[in-house]
Amino acid sequence: MDNCIAENPSPTRAKWRKVAYGGMQPGFDDNHTDECFLEGMVMNANVVKRDMLKVMQDAISISQYLCIVVLVGLVWTYTLRSTLDESSLLYLDVSLLGSGFLVLLLTEEMLSLNLLLHYLVNVFFFTTGLFVLAPIYQTLTRSISSDTIWAVTVSLVILHLFLHDYSGSTVTAPGALKNPTLTSSISLNASVVASVFIASRLPSRLQVFAIMLFSLQVFLFAPLVTYCIKKYSFRLHLCFSFSLMAMTLAFVYTLHRLLFVLLLGLLVFVTVVCPYWLIRMQEYKFEINGPWDEAKLCFDITD
Amino acid sequence: MGDSKRHRILMVSDFFYPNFGGVENHIYLLSQCLLKLGHKVVVMTHAYGNRSGVRYMTGGLKVYYVPWKPFLLQNTLPTFYGTLPIIRTILIREQISLVHGHQAFSTLCHEALMHARTMGYKVVFTDHSLYGFADVGSIHMNKVLQFTLADVSQAICVSHTSKENTVLRSGLPPEKVYVIPNAVDTAMFKPAAERPSGNEIIIVVISRLVYRKGADLLVEVIPEVCRMYPNVRFIVGGDGPKRVRLEEMREKHSLQDRVEMLGAVPHAQVRSVLISGHIFLNSSLTEAFCIAILEAASCGLLTVSTRVGGVPEAYDMIVLAEPDPTDMVQAIKKAISILPMIDPQDMHNRMKKLYDWHDVAKRTEIVYDHALNCSNQSLLERLSRYLTCGAWAGKLFCLVMIIDFILWRLLQLWKPAEDIEVVPDIVLSHDEDRGISQDFQAFNEDNSLR
Repeated sequence: MDNCIAENPSPTRAKWRKVAYGGMQPGFDDNHTDECFLEGMVMNANVVKRDMLKVMQDAISISQYLCIVVLVGLVWTYTLRSTLDESSLLYLDVSLLGSGFLVLLLTEEMLSLNLLLHYLVNVFFFTTGLFVLAPIYQTLTRSISSDTIWAVTVSLVILHLFLHDYSGSTVTAPGALKNPTLTSSISLNASVVASVFIASRLPSRLQVFAIMLFSLQVFLFAPLVTYCIKKYSFRLHLCFSFSLMAMTLAFVYTLHRLLFVLLLGLLVFVTVVCPYWLIRMQEYKFEINGPWDEAKLCFDITD
Repeated sequence: MGDSKRHRILMVSDFFYPNFGGVENHIYLLSQCLLKLGHKVVVMTHAYGNRSGVRYMTGGLKVYYVPWKPFLLQNTLPTFYGTLPIIRTILIREQISLVHGHQAFSTLCHEALMHARTMGYKVVFTDHSLYGFADVGSIHMNKVLQFTLADVSQAICVSHTSKENTVLRSGLPPEKVYVIPNAVDTAMFKPAAERPSGNEIIIVVISRLVYRKGADLLVEVIPEVCRMYPNVRFIVGGDGPKRVRLEEMREKHSLQDRVEMLGAVPHAQVRSVLISGHIFLNSSLTEAFCIAILEAASCGLLTVSTRVGGVPEAYDMIVLAEPDPTDMVQAIKKAISILPMIDPQDMHNRMKKLYDWHDVAKRTEIVYDHALNCSNQSLLERLSRYLTCGAWAGKLFCLVMIIDFILWRLLQLWKPAEDIEVVPDIVLSHDEDRGISQDFQAFNEDNSLR
């Protein structure tokens, strides 16, 4: 128990003690504020000091994923305009699948033959299932007007971007320790529903299958692949991100000038302005801890 | 015990009889002691079920159960200006000189203090709990508290830790905050004539079984202690969401004969449960001022408690432990070893000297004197205090107060103060010898008539 000691101006005055019992302390008023007032207060104990370069490097993951989503949107636009036909889409799907597996093989240390076989079997079932269900997607939104579909798709994609888990990936390798959080599951579902809406606007069954396969491949596995690249080598991650950003900007430039300007602005905002803003706001951080805090249990409550 | 200056106090809170709790008991017992000192005390709270209107309690304590229904956790619906007419009427009828609000979580208290300040009355605020700073609920609550305390005459906290917490949350200057702890009714909590005999050591736990009161710590500690000491038994009183976990723990370790669960214990029977044990265990995770510990010590039990909040200041003969199961088991071990040296009657007598409600009332009277000596301020001077609350919040608060002022003036035109009948003072002739214990017995009888 702490006993705060006050100075003794006169020998007869007793010391002030930080206790509540015993009534009013002789010689002191009830509103006496001692020197040891707020002695137990600890400020900003858990605040981590951020470095601008590190925050910018972390922000690159966000802009990289933004570019991936923009590329998916581009493919959707070209397919809906019939610029991209079924065969090119299918080639795109197969090449993406192949390159994804290659990246996983090269970067994942603990990939055994068993696991690879397991993945291949899953992918096979997934593709077959999509092919069989393609006719359902084709007629799903026939009675809904196009404007509604575009509006809902855009809102779902924005929701997906807001709630996405940029630090890891929702779909993890079997045996991963971290469970996906609620918001990352919501974002994944939003992206899947958006893909279904877009696919339902296409005329032919093969197109529907191809676009669904493409969208789901990217949304489900792109985070896992980029996470593996980042884990493997940071420089590879940076090169990959910058080339992806350049490619996206080039494609959007050929599509529409205004969208290009918007995308460029957004990328600059996310990569440069936001880290600077975050670091500036850190000086206002004022975390207070003290004896009045509710005690934290040091063990997990297992029901 | 006549007073040269007789105060006329209005106590406002959402929490009062027929509810039972720390705040409710504090208001009731403080009001009774102030009545004994010769002041006039009126209590205002919201209606409880059918209990609405004016009621009189022991000693002539008048209680206004304003017909507003509680909407969330015993709080009335905050309507900002809805309570202005009724509060103005009560203040004029009873010729109140000072408004005393209790508990930061009570919306009625905040509204009453706001209206009382607009009408020029002096206000005193007592804070009974500790709050954090980091979660959404606390941030909003602290802003509301900052608004109310921006213009309060004086404030009272129940412990020094609570004073630090309140000063940080509200930005009040520390000189304005008085530390007056709660007290314990030693006449009701007397130790048993004889200690429970036998070689069994009985540990009593009485608390609401919720997370905040450390029910999870109990789940970890009880099996360990039962394993280490075969002659220890537990009596657990109280109910709550965590009761299921305790029952599960009991089943899992087969402690049905060693852990007795009593369920909710009515206030009148707390003493009989306490005197059946030797040691009292309090495992709360946060506590501004723990009256339960004082009640147990007054009944002659040795207390083991977690070192949180204002507990270390409450009493010096507590065995303290960190809120960690291993540490608590060590503390219980130490308590069991020093148990033979404890004399219950000694502890009771000591507690009688250390805590007294009459002393609390006298110290509160000093706070009232200081509050009434504060200068009267015009609206403009008061608005400048609200502006310091924050860049946006300050302006919003000023707007709220200006609208309140305008509404008050309109009310003065519509229902002039001369038209409101003033209640004549009724002085109850009571025996000077009548002790406060008889008052509390009457209080308990009131409970059973619920």
